[in-house]
Amino acid sequence: MQDAFYLLAAVLLPYAGALITALLPANARTVAWLAGGTALLTLLMVVLGYSDIAAGRIPRVALPWAPELGLSFTLRMDGFAATFAVMASGIGFLVVLYSRYYMSPDDPIPRFFSFLLAFMGSMMGLVLSANLIQLVFFWELTSLFSFLLIGYWQNLAAARDGARMALTVTAGGGLALFAGVLVLGHIVGSYELDAVLAAGNLVRAHPLYLPALVLILLGAMTKSAQFPFHFWLPHAMAAPTPVSAYLHSATLVKAGIFLLARLWPVLAGTDAWFWILCPVGLITLLVGAYVAIFQHDMKALLAYSTISHLGLITLLLSLNSDLAMVAAVFHIINHATFKASLFMAAGIIDHETGTRDIRRLSGLNQSMPFTARLALVAAGAMAGVPLLNGFISKEMFFTEALTAATTPTLLHSILPIAATLASILAVTYSLRFIHGAFFGPETDDLPKKPHEPPQFMRVPVEILVFACMVVGILPSATVGPLLDLAARSILGDATPEYSLAVWHGFNLPLVMSLIALAGGVALYRLLYRHLNAGIDGTPLLERLDGRRAFDQVMVFISWRFARALERLMATDRLQMQLRLLVCIAFLAATLALLPHGLAPGGVQLTPVDPVVALMWVVGGACAIAAAYQAKYHRLAALVMLGGAGLVTCLTFVWFSAPDLALTQLLVEIVTTVLMLLGLRWMPKRIESAGSGHILARLRRLRDLAIAAAAGLGLTAISYATMTRVSPDGISRQFLERAYTEGGGTNVVNVILVDFRGFDTMGEITVLGIVALTVFALLRRFRPAAESVGMPEQQQGEARDWLLIPAVTMRLIFPVIIAVSLYLLLRGHDQPGGGFIAGLMLAIGILLQYMAGGTRWVEDHLRVLPLRWMGFGLLLAAGTGAAAIAFGKPFLTSYFAYADLGPLGKLPLASAVIFDLGVFALVFGATVLMLIALAHQSVRRPRAAPPPPVAALPEPAAAAAGEN
Amino acid sequence: MIPQAAELPWFAALPVALLLLGGAGLTLIGSIGLLRLRSFYERVHAPTLATSYGMGCILIASMIFFSVLQTRLVIHEVVIGAFIVLTTPVTLMLVARAALHRDRLEKNATVPPSINQPAT
Repeated sequence: MQDAFYLLAAVLLPYAGALITALLPANARTVAWLAGGTALLTLLMVVLGYSDIAAGRIPRVALPWAPELGLSFTLRMDGFAATFAVMASGIGFLVVLYSRYYMSPDDPIPRFFSFLLAFMGSMMGLVLSANLIQLVFFWELTSLFSFLLIGYWQNLAAARDGARMALTVTAGGGLALFAGVLVLGHIVGSYELDAVLAAGNLVRAHPLYLPALVLILLGAMTKSAQFPFHFWLPHAMAAPTPVSAYLHSATLVKAGIFLLARLWPVLAGTDAWFWILCPVGLITLLVGAYVAIFQHDMKALLAYSTISHLGLITLLLSLNSDLAMVAAVFHIINHATFKASLFMAAGIIDHETGTRDIRRLSGLNQSMPFTARLALVAAGAMAGVPLLNGFISKEMFFTEALTAATTPTLLHSILPIAATLASILAVTYSLRFIHGAFFGPETDDLPKKPHEPPQFMRVPVEILVFACMVVGILPSATVGPLLDLAARSILGDATPEYSLAVWHGFNLPLVMSLIALAGGVALYRLLYRHLNAGIDGTPLLERLDGRRAFDQVMVFISWRFARALERLMATDRLQMQLRLLVCIAFLAATLALLPHGLAPGGVQLTPVDPVVALMWVVGGACAIAAAYQAKYHRLAALVMLGGAGLVTCLTFVWFSAPDLALTQLLVEIVTTVLMLLGLRWMPKRIESAGSGHILARLRRLRDLAIAAAAGLGLTAISYATMTRVSPDGISRQFLERAYTEGGGTNVVNVILVDFRGFDTMGEITVLGIVALTVFALLRRFRPAAESVGMPEQQQGEARDWLLIPAVTMRLIFPVIIAVSLYLLLRGHDQPGGGFIAGLMLAIGILLQYMAGGTRWVEDHLRVLPLRWMGFGLLLAAGTGAAAIAFGKPFLTSYFAYADLGPLGKLPLASAVIFDLGVFALVFGATVLMLIALAHQSVRRPRAAPPPPVAALPEPAAAAAGEN
Repeated sequence: MIPQAAELPWFAALPVALLLLGGAGLTLIGSIGLLRLRSFYERVHAPTLATSYGMGCILIASMIFFSVLQTRLVIHEVVIGAFIVLTTPVTLMLVARAALHRDRLEKNATVPPSINQPAT
């Protein structure tokens, strides 16, 4: 029980913190303390859970989520997960403390801490997940929040581009990972981590092993910035430095490594594993280290060195050796500590001097001696200097490389040489970092006068550097137990004997280390002149530009390819789209009907009533006339359409469906008027000379054939359906229970607001969305130039020709309101209800707009449709939710009779309040659309923007780009 | 259609039948007029026959019929009458003015002269 609490709290606390932080005012400086407290509490939870692991148990918690699909929200923390959880929350806390001083008060601080905490929560969820699907979910969340964090300074183009690139690469890899996890789950038959980890032999022997492996490795390699996906990491350096220190040292990029190690027992041990991962790791290790030397930006140098170290860990994992696995876990921990501190040191330098360019920095040892010492130690750890933690894991790496070299393949045998070479390069770039910034003559050519940072800004660096030293001097006493648990939780009983000593005697790895140190110093001396010359770019590798390749791929996919597809398959002609839609629907229906045929059923038909027959003939004639006139005489077509609608309405009356008839009538009115208003903005169609041409005639004949086929087909289907006895559904139940259980005698309304209340809830939501969409589409719409001028019908002296209708419409407005309210209130027992009443009231407003014009109405009457909609939706949902307060399911309705004394009894059902919500929403939505259309008439088209001038001066061009 | 219609006593059935026939006849004449009259301004007048006396006769017939059958006063039809009396003139006025406006704009020969200014 306590385990469950610790685990859940470890994942949920950061999210809760993020939510609260996000809601704080923008200038609150307390958010840092809140965020720090949250991170510290999270760390505490992990530590509390850790005591269980130390005792040999694995805390876990499972909450059913969709048990019928085999999905549950499961968390579990073994030693390895705990290692990552400690890093994520511990370094997270230090980063929060650091950012408190790093971030400028002008930045929107709550947003920063909110994203940071949410990222921490995602990272905790990722490492503690015991279900693979859930792991992928948190994986994508980390991609998302890292995107938001990298793009935090959203006004900088570099931040936006870097964020987008990181998101595209890592989230794209996440999709591959998802596919891979699905395959893996299919092989094992379960997505639970325990089951998967136990099924290693089954997985490795399965024919789908290779696809699963490739997909999962794609996910891990993109996340951990392995070659050839490494290019996003340097561009992500546009993020604030605390973000880089957190994401790009300890957490985000380690997620890929985490996954590789997590699934190591299942996927590793095969040739495929080695032959995919080892070259990738090797190239990443060497290329990253080589490129890092030639970076002038301190953060870029650290980014490439991170890539190199991630390659090292990947290489270790690829070796299929248990000892290499232990070394990998150890190096993960070490790299997190020294790299986070180095990033923070770079941030301090940036913060206090205003630049990160190594070419400009010099002699900071004089002005900020303390920071210089800290950075020196951390860089020493990165270079692998003895008595620091980086040295020990590097020794282990050399040992493993030598062990692997006994296998007689070329790739294996070059490993020791490659390892030594990479270490030489690592020493060189570490030297560059330290020597370039802190040594040499003191310079005064800096944007700010350098001085030591505030004390608490240094504290996180001090803690991390202290850890580097302690681990480096006393490894087995400090990190030993943690490492042991972590390794044991991956390797189980197969955990090999290893020794965490500083001194192993004078052996080959030590010789390699010494060669690396000496070689690195020599190489730095050799390159010193070149590096100080300030040349941009990497010698020999200028052409290796991941960014350009990425941009080209992006342009191809999102522009050229999309354009080509659009050219091939799309049309912007509405007629063509409609034609295709109707044809495809017709074909689909025909295909579905082919096996069964379409015969009329056996229901006894009632005799045809001559009145109805006459009515339908009129309605049909109207419909055909509307279609006939639609091309050149739109007004006539609209009138005819209204006629057809009226006949439909009368048909409903005839078949005793007064509710439907009322609704149909009102909908007809609203549609007709709205379409009339829209007609105003359509350009006039002129019958051209060629319209009698044989081709045009054929085209029209084809359209006629399509329309007739679709119409007749629908008629046939309806006829066949209606001449069959409808299956005994629940409609009888509705009739019987409407009064006894719903408290209303109008069954239609009771169904709408009570039996099927949830459907109605959804429908009004959709209606609201549609209205908002129409509003959004029309908001910026400017009429075409040729339809802006006064139409010819309105020219001349015709000011008061609407006078009498206008007076009538105004007089009738209160009547309409009264009738609308009447319809609303009686709806539960007699024809009416919220939907009808809402439409009715909207028609009232519509008439005012027609009579008085937009300006007049809005001067005299303020309808706030958005508030009506919001109020309606809240009221409907609130009524439904009120049932929960009484212990009933959502949307249960309640009814009673209120005794009004001499006035009699008034039926009161909670459904009426729900109906009121429906009423408000329908009214608001309809009026919103009306206003969107009506406002076209008070708008004038804007003058076209001037054509862009090619050669603008720099600031002006930037300003033009922003608009 | 309504089976009880046969039970209507003769003193009620006679006026109901006469009024119905009269109303229907007037409406028919109005419709024929709409079809036969030549100019728009003449045609405007024809349907008013249906919406005034024609509709009036039918509504009174309806009132008598249902009042006698249900042995209580049924006068919903007054509301129908009121609305028709309100809407028909307004609609026709609107239509006629629109036509007039258009004819004047297009300077057609058949435009009736303006009241204010003598036709030129």
